[in-house]
Amino acid sequence: MKELTQKQVFDYLFNNGTENFIGVPDSTMKHFIDQGFKKNKILITTREDEAIGIAVGMTLSQSSSLVFMQNAGFANSLSTITSLVQLYKIPMIFLIGWRGFLKNDAPEHTKIGKIQPKLLQALSLQSKIINEKNWKASCDWALKLIKEKKPCALILKRDFID
Amino acid sequence: MIRKEAISIIVEKMSNQPIISANGFISRDLFDTCDRNSNFYMIGSMGLASSIGLGVALKSTKKKIFVFDGDGNILMNLGSLITIGIIKPKNLVHVIFDNSSHESTGGQPTATNKIQLSKIAKSANYKVFQVKTKNQLTKIFQKIKLIPGPIMLIVKIEKGGVISKRINMEPTKIKNRFINSLKK
Repeated sequence: MKELTQKQVFDYLFNNGTENFIGVPDSTMKHFIDQGFKKNKILITTREDEAIGIAVGMTLSQSSSLVFMQNAGFANSLSTITSLVQLYKIPMIFLIGWRGFLKNDAPEHTKIGKIQPKLLQALSLQSKIINEKNWKASCDWALKLIKEKKPCALILKRDFID
Repeated sequence: MIRKEAISIIVEKMSNQPIISANGFISRDLFDTCDRNSNFYMIGSMGLASSIGLGVALKSTKKKIFVFDGDGNILMNLGSLITIGIIKPKNLVHVIFDNSSHESTGGQPTATNKIQLSKIAKSANYKVFQVKTKNQLTKIFQKIKLIPGPIMLIVKIEKGGVISKRINMEPTKIKNRFINSLKK
């Protein structure tokens, strides 16, 4: 996703009630995170499940949160999602960078990238792939689910090789 | 001193400040000793009680937040000490009930009798206190009430005691009443 769009996504979510942006950085969403730093709204954690824990605490205090991570970190967080987020029905938006989407991405991303859609499905975590065209509608969809107290995921494809 | 005795002493000294309690016997003992709306029993997601506590502390700044953690739990999420140490929330008290074992899963050893958790916490900007007896616990609790956090209170406990009942409350009920208690 282009730099400008990533910044727009951040601004849109921030201006529509998402107060906290917590996670582990991913180059796929570099500009999203940079925009958050400019607004002093980013909290970087040591691991993804830690970020989810902090977001849960903030949500319990009525402050809406987004957790960002790469799909490798999403895989690290499966048990936290099932036994904390879903068990207690805690609303939050996951923004997940999808490495391994391109077949010629780095080898460490191949397997996890391939099973990424199946993992989401297995978890029954509602998700949308976000792109240049649908980003606003996708953000609106996520924000609506948060109001309904449901967690959801926005997926950002890694569509370039560096 | 066993865990349940330590929990009783601390809860008696507290008013209705929120507690986030770690999974396993810690939450079960707290539930059995003193169930209250401001207890968040984290029944899954081992290791994350201190992270949840940090999130609550940052957004409920008028309240003093207590985390009831275990040695096995915190060893699973040492990164949490780093994040807490960077942010330094003044209203966070991180209690570790330390029996150097995973008691809930059969008493397997942890590393806290070989590695000093207090040193790790100190280097992560915590103010650290350590107690072994009921008397020390009662006294130190008066002291930590007056000091800004992040505070780590390591309570050395013995293994054993009657196993407390499981938490027979719906997780969503635990959540909803905890949220309401934070609003007050």
